[in-house]
Amino acid sequence: MKKPNLITRMFGKFKSIQSTMLVSFSALMVLAMLVFMVIAMRYTSGTIYENSINYMSQIIQQVNYDIDTYIEYMENISSVIAKSSDVPRYLFDQNQTEAEREAEKERILTQFQTIMESRDDIYNVAAVAKNGRYIINQGDDELTGYVDIESLDWYQAAMESKSGIAVSSSHVQNAIQSSYKWVITLSRALVNNQTGEREGLFFVDLNYSAISDLCNNNSIEEKGYIFVLDAEGNIVYHPKQQLMYGGLKTENIDAIMECREDSLIIDEGGDSKLYTMSKSKRTGWTVVGAAYTSELLKNNEQAQMWYLLVASILLLAVIGISSIISREITKPIRSLRDSMRKVQNGQFGTHVEVITENEIGSLGRSFNLMTSEIQALMEQNVYEQKQKRKSELKALQAQINPHFLYNTLDSIIWMSEAGENDEVVEMTSALARLLRQSISNDKEEVELEKEIEYVKNYLTIQKMRYKDKLEFFIYVDPRVAHVPIIKLVLQPLVENAIYHGIKYKETKGNLKIYARPVDGRVEIVVADDGIGMDEDVMEHIFDEHRKEQKRNGVGVPNVQKRLKLQYGSEYGIRYESVKGAGTKAVITIPVDGGRTDEKMDE
Amino acid sequence: MKKWMSKNHKIGILMTVALTFVVVCLGVRLARNDPDEAETYHLIFIPKTIDPANGFWTALIDGAKLGAEEMGAEIEVMGAGAEEDVEEQIEIIRQSMEKEPDALLVAPGDYSEVSDVLQEVVDAGIPLILLDSVIDRDIAVSEIGTDNYRAGKELGEYAATLIDGEGEIGIVSHVKGSSTAMERSNGICDGMGEASHQIRSIVYCNSSYEKAYELTKDMLNRYPQISLLVATNEYGAIGAARAVNDLGLAGKVKMVGFDSSVEEIQLLEMGVFQAIIIQKPVNMGYLGVEQAIHVLNGKKAEPKLDSGSKLITKENLYEDENQRLLYPFSGQ
Repeated sequence: MKKPNLITRMFGKFKSIQSTMLVSFSALMVLAMLVFMVIAMRYTSGTIYENSINYMSQIIQQVNYDIDTYIEYMENISSVIAKSSDVPRYLFDQNQTEAEREAEKERILTQFQTIMESRDDIYNVAAVAKNGRYIINQGDDELTGYVDIESLDWYQAAMESKSGIAVSSSHVQNAIQSSYKWVITLSRALVNNQTGEREGLFFVDLNYSAISDLCNNNSIEEKGYIFVLDAEGNIVYHPKQQLMYGGLKTENIDAIMECREDSLIIDEGGDSKLYTMSKSKRTGWTVVGAAYTSELLKNNEQAQMWYLLVASILLLAVIGISSIISREITKPIRSLRDSMRKVQNGQFGTHVEVITENEIGSLGRSFNLMTSEIQALMEQNVYEQKQKRKSELKALQAQINPHFLYNTLDSIIWMSEAGENDEVVEMTSALARLLRQSISNDKEEVELEKEIEYVKNYLTIQKMRYKDKLEFFIYVDPRVAHVPIIKLVLQPLVENAIYHGIKYKETKGNLKIYARPVDGRVEIVVADDGIGMDEDVMEHIFDEHRKEQKRNGVGVPNVQKRLKLQYGSEYGIRYESVKGAGTKAVITIPVDGGRTDEKMDE
Repeated sequence: MKKWMSKNHKIGILMTVALTFVVVCLGVRLARNDPDEAETYHLIFIPKTIDPANGFWTALIDGAKLGAEEMGAEIEVMGAGAEEDVEEQIEIIRQSMEKEPDALLVAPGDYSEVSDVLQEVVDAGIPLILLDSVIDRDIAVSEIGTDNYRAGKELGEYAATLIDGEGEIGIVSHVKGSSTAMERSNGICDGMGEASHQIRSIVYCNSSYEKAYELTKDMLNRYPQISLLVATNEYGAIGAARAVNDLGLAGKVKMVGFDSSVEEIQLLEMGVFQAIIIQKPVNMGYLGVEQAIHVLNGKKAEPKLDSGSKLITKENLYEDENQRLLYPFSGQ
């Protein structure tokens, strides 16, 4: 025998094809889903990063461009002032009269006012000269005098830069008395035309409204933000600038400044931040976008949940559908199995309905063919049995006669020789009735009354033969008088009682035969007060091959067999015997004579 | 066989039920837009005053607001118009309790007078966080403020270098009975060491520029020997400085003081003040809210937190770090 392979062994574990199919379908589906999900998720999370970086880069570049444009715009404004002759003349011209200076100042202040009114992101507009002259805002603001303006970074940067233009980082404007605000200063060196030297400075202090608008309008996710660093890594603008200055919040500025790439991911204890940078050539500033990867991947999480949900629903559907399919497929198999079980229990009439044309269909057809064949065989068998019984009965009828007939006739001869004419007549008539009864009717069954009658005739003859050695008594309850019973049942028992019970008794033997209904059955009792039987004999009383039974061919076993065949195993003969006291044989038959069974046989 | 079948069915049913459960769970999670959205806590902050002219308190309020914004909480600021109006603060604390905030942040106006009402707050099950000042009872889950004794001591030590053995010292304190006033005074005295014996007069301006101005003028007129003035908060400092300026004593009478405002910084630039010690009100407010959120989230709060202080002189005034501390960025 080949050892079953793994798959066969695995499937062998299931006790039904339906569950095998169900489980394998589901397992396959789960596997397919898992592969799909792993691929999909890996792909999604990869693309999310890539897309996020691309998206952020675009935003950051846009913000950078916007800031550049903004600064450029401011520079243009400053160049209008710087290039006009008014401011340098006012600052540097030593030869002006007081009136001229006043007029000049008015003109400049008008210009300043125009600028200040057109923009709300300007704190201060001012022009200062090394010679100590200055003009600020509306003309009434003053330099504090506590700080040397020329020593300030933003002043020097413009003076020293090639273009004469500088944009400062964030700083507090503490050169102007009324200010002391955080500003970004855009400064432009002013050239004294007389000397050709840079001797003054025009500057505009910008507040953060414009830059913060530019940075905040472009949102990166919900928690993401944009900030601006100057070339040295100082913060120009940060939405959490106050917290940063207070040391309550930190940013990975060093890592960002060192990074040569456009993007950077930094782990921050549990969460990581994605930074995207864009450096401006004009200002030297770096615009940085920051986003939390957890937030970026939030959609991914959502997507994963969707995948899982869809997968679960599909799996449910697969289980549902495959359970229906497998049930449908195995339905004929199960019906075949159920039918087989019925056949196993003896119902050979079982027929399987063949619905399908496939292997199972042909299996069903074969099954039907087989059962009908078996049923035919069974029926034939039953018929043959019946025939056999009939012929047995016939043989029986034929068999009882010669021996008994010879003895009876012998008795008749002796009686006629002795001149006992009346007895001869009685015996002869009894014999005649007996013979007529046994041959006239070839029916298998007779009414109990008739069977008793038959026994009565037989007993009459026997009584005459044995003279005073035998006395008999017969009683039939009228309720059972017409119950049908198979022929030649009582006679063998009576014969037995006489030959084995009473015959060996010294004194006169009594035989009692009575029939009555007991518990819905009919009991016919043949009781003698003969020598009785010991248990050993009792045990073998129904053995067919007992020697002595063969004596006249019809024995108790034969009767027993016929009764059981006719009425079923619960009916038949039961013997009770007490050694030396007598034997009692009880025949039990159904009240209706097993009519239903009879009908079925016919 | 029958038994096996039923067992099989049981497994099947179990599997289906489990899967259905998973589906329902996922569905519910997806249906809710933001599953991680935490509860928004409602906090109430009651500073000593909501006077917008006061740089210290506005910065502290700003810090608290920034903290609330950073941590996703709502904060409501309720306060008295004047710092010394303890009665009004008590009334406001009572009002705030009716709003049933998740936590209450208070800068108590008095060391003992507000204790009873704050006890009621704590008894009502509202976590109490004290900012800037403390009270005579240890009932707050967290106290955040400048270590006033240490700050006072630092200022005292510096002040001691400004005075020779001859001159007298005047102290313009703020509200008598407030913990900050007491701690700062103690710190200043300890920091001055030997020189503390030269303290001639202590006045309480009740956190009013006018009163500080008047009291200082009186003090300087009465004790012309005074050559050093120490102010324990912004009101006292500004009021006293104005008096010194008006008396033409700027530079002659040395001054050191607590807190900062643009005016005070300018006075430092001018040389009226020799040094100021600044607190970090923004940090104080921020940390207060942070601690409140910690408590509400079931984390352990710091029972005592020093928000820090810094001595600013004319020399280090323009350093970037100090500029950042001196000029609050918020509100611009």
